[in-house]
Amino acid sequence: MNPAKAFAHLFSPLGGDDGDNYRSPGQISFLRAPFVSLDSDELASTEAQYVFIGVPFDEGNVGKPGSEDGPREFRVASLDYFPYWFEFNVDLNGKAVDCGDVSMPRVSPGVAHERIYAAVRKALAAGKAPIICGGDRSISIPATKALSDHLGVEKKMGYMHLGAHLDMADTWAGESNVSTCTMARITELGNLSMDNVAHIGARNSFNPKDHIDLVKNRGMRFHPMFEVLERGIDDVMDETVSRVWDDTDGQYLSFNFNVMDSSSAPGVTATEPGGLESREIMRVASKISERGGLSVIDITELCPMFDISGSTSRTAVCVVLRILAGIELKHGRTLDDSLRRPGWKFKD
Amino acid sequence: MTTQPSNPWTFVPHQHQGPHQETHDDAHTRSPEKHNGPFKAEGILTFMGAPYCPADRDKVSEMGAKICFLGAPWDQGTIVRTGTSSGPHGIRQASSQYFPYMFEYDVDLMTFFNVVDCGDIPVVPGNNELSQRYMYDYVTECLEGGAKVILVGGDHSVPIPGARALSQWLTRRKPDGKMGYLHVDCHLDAAVDWAGIEITNASGPTEAFKLPNVSSENMAHMGSRNGLNPKDWMDFWIDNNIPIYPMSEVVERGIDACGREILERAWNGTDAVYLSWDTDSLDCSCMPGTTCPESYGLKAREALAFARLAGEYGVDVLELAELSPIFDVSQMSTKLACNMIYHYLGSRAATLRSRNEKP
Repeated sequence: MNPAKAFAHLFSPLGGDDGDNYRSPGQISFLRAPFVSLDSDELASTEAQYVFIGVPFDEGNVGKPGSEDGPREFRVASLDYFPYWFEFNVDLNGKAVDCGDVSMPRVSPGVAHERIYAAVRKALAAGKAPIICGGDRSISIPATKALSDHLGVEKKMGYMHLGAHLDMADTWAGESNVSTCTMARITELGNLSMDNVAHIGARNSFNPKDHIDLVKNRGMRFHPMFEVLERGIDDVMDETVSRVWDDTDGQYLSFNFNVMDSSSAPGVTATEPGGLESREIMRVASKISERGGLSVIDITELCPMFDISGSTSRTAVCVVLRILAGIELKHGRTLDDSLRRPGWKFKD
Repeated sequence: MTTQPSNPWTFVPHQHQGPHQETHDDAHTRSPEKHNGPFKAEGILTFMGAPYCPADRDKVSEMGAKICFLGAPWDQGTIVRTGTSSGPHGIRQASSQYFPYMFEYDVDLMTFFNVVDCGDIPVVPGNNELSQRYMYDYVTECLEGGAKVILVGGDHSVPIPGARALSQWLTRRKPDGKMGYLHVDCHLDAAVDWAGIEITNASGPTEAFKLPNVSSENMAHMGSRNGLNPKDWMDFWIDNNIPIYPMSEVVERGIDACGREILERAWNGTDAVYLSWDTDSLDCSCMPGTTCPESYGLKAREALAFARLAGEYGVDVLELAELSPIFDVSQMSTKLACNMIYHYLGSRAATLRSRNEKP
């Protein structure tokens, strides 16, 4: 093995022409990945497994605005991390490309949803797993439909959501595709059986009665926060990961970081007390990555203008990257133990 | 008015001087009688409201100070965002909201340690070498004056001159003396160099390792996690057989077990210990006011437990780095950082008292 420039990104910068400081990214992209258009032939031929898609859409939001800044801050936060993750001894460099943001029309939420659908279909058709960053949670409606249609009626889909709200309104003020209707629309997908749905972290009273009524009517299994506290996150994840991943052909993993306690994730549109702590969300990431793969990850409702010290965006990036790193580890794609920085000497 | 002539360390807060003097020696340990005194009043702001003492070995010695607080308002050694130069101010400000008396230990930190604030180390913008030399000199003066040092950064390049000062102070006192070095941090910080530079905030442990009286047997790292840890940083700890206690292990085994192991290791056959504690070892939920806020960190209660544990063992220099009040909210970070020091001192005092020892 030649431990030369090809691995320079794993190490402290060498200086000079090899780069002085990793905080000079020039262009800002997810994990410093190259930009590749969703419409280019290059997408299918790239070796990257994941494509990052930003969806700066906030017009399905019924609450506090600001989630359209989510993709930008998510990308910025990702620049503070190296592609190397020492806990896993893996290299995430080259595992993703950044496909930019889906172009968002104003005051045309229907058109926006069509574009989101088309973008996710393209990524899936290219054989990639999209990492979609919203935007309010309504973007999951076209994105889940894209996976459902991509898999086709003969295949089975699994869906896991972590969030504080059930979002099970059949309609909200007459509208059927806003964020509070997200779970209602997703549970209507033809190839998504209720046996393969998991909702984790529901709590508090932004969950009106019609939501819980529809949950019961459709037989949706959910694990409210009090159950998580009683059973422990590992136990709940063992059950739900099994339900979503066993015997399904594609899995959609969806995060609203309000699943975390408002102290741990202040920068979300609807903070909620009584949620997960950071060490619990890392167990979530670990349990998911042990399954070795998934079809789509979405992150919605980040709200950077209310964030503190950039910590929520960083936490969101950290969780996603720990999932990717865990998947690499699961497949044994770890680095050669003998690989060292050029010129490495440990003892003067 | 406070002490016998034999002890020149005196404590009369400036708020108690002038026309409305408090007359009790221990007024600072009690609810105010005449007026609020130094509580929540900055004025001439010092850590704990302690008297100022120049960082001069003779003055420190004459005053009988056993704890010197030193600020290092330096953030040009950082490889990440800046802001830590206001760390010393933030922690002094937070300390104005606390009494030097701690009920948990029934001790008055102020008089037990004869605490002094030696002010901020002067720095030279654009010149890391010179700034670090000043840090070295100031820490050296306090140690030579017979005090232990609370050193508050400033970015995490501060331990480079700090540990060197302790190392050389020890060598002067005891030529074959050995020193322990502990690094509690989210980041492994073990860059042999960063783009050719050896004295950034990514190289505290590697520089400590070069010190002649520090060996791998008395070094340890605790609290590491997440992806701002390039591979060579990890390789340093592995290749030198120095144990790291990543957060996953701290969560699994508990802070008491892990903290005790690193403190035992640092003190195993050594004569002095340097503890370098980065505020980003804490979870970002309780420590947003730091340069690199990271999830999956220590909870506040765990940090305070470790501070108390460290107080049982004692250290010669306790350094707190990367406190960045500009990113803080509601003073939660600066107050937590202040408490990490207060509980260390309280526990230290209780430990010494139980052995009938003086600081």
